[in-house]
Amino acid sequence: MSTSKLTSMPEDDLNDLEAHLAGTLRPVAPRRDFVQRLRERVHLPPRAEIATRLRDWQTLVLVVGGVISGTLVIITVARAMFHLFGKRNVG
Amino acid sequence: MPELEFNEEDVLSRASQGDRDAFGLLYERYIDRIFNYVYYRTGNLHDAEDLTARVFQRAMNHIHNYTDRGVPFSAWLYRIAHNLVANWHRDRSRRQEIPLNDLPVVPSKDDRPEATLVRSQEQDALLRLIRQLPAERQTLLILKFVENLSNAEIGQIMGRSEGAVKSLYHRTLLALRDQIGDQNITLEGD
Repeated sequence: MSTSKLTSMPEDDLNDLEAHLAGTLRPVAPRRDFVQRLRERVHLPPRAEIATRLRDWQTLVLVVGGVISGTLVIITVARAMFHLFGKRNVG
Repeated sequence: MPELEFNEEDVLSRASQGDRDAFGLLYERYIDRIFNYVYYRTGNLHDAEDLTARVFQRAMNHIHNYTDRGVPFSAWLYRIAHNLVANWHRDRSRRQEIPLNDLPVVPSKDDRPEATLVRSQEQDALLRLIRQLPAERQTLLILKFVENLSNAEIGQIMGRSEGAVKSLYHRTLLALRDQIGDQNITLEGD
């Protein structure tokens, strides 16, 4: 194995440097457990999914509207029950 | 891992509509490439994993905004990775100097112990010089040597013409050679 200083390399001959770069910049594999963990996070990210869905303003309006409507229905039903059964019990 | 066969255009279309399986295919295809890019840009295994995870989280959260403008999907991913790495460097420079010789030994593609990458001092020195190059030159070298991409493919990712990539590559080699000379680094020949 010979030793050569790249400083003495002519300008138009950069093959040595390219060979060194090829030997240094080699593909590396990420750890398998990291890839698996990230795969699970990417495939099943409930928080991200919710955030993504809620980002759609139309969906957001529907969700908020649905919650308000549901709450009003529950309150109305509760008041009706109170008037029907509550008063009878009091009387 | 065998190369997954799929029509990327179709997969991208499904992924952008929220198809998680389609995004999973993109993940399988690009995880190694993005990890390699981030790893060589940071020189730190743990930060490379953290940033790679963030790249895919961000890609998943924004893929509905992705539009095909004639550039490969990988260019979009590399752009996300580039931005995150740039932020990482900015934050690191505020806190402390990066330990440039802190490059860990990482399993090679084969993932076999005997194929483990053990770097010589010469390679460490060369990596340190590479990491002192401007970001676009580092990216070019990583895409060319780690990913084995052609100048045309690199141009698509970097948003440059094939000729511009060729020119930048040549200037990068000259700059590296000059730095090797300035720092009197000796590289062993074959």
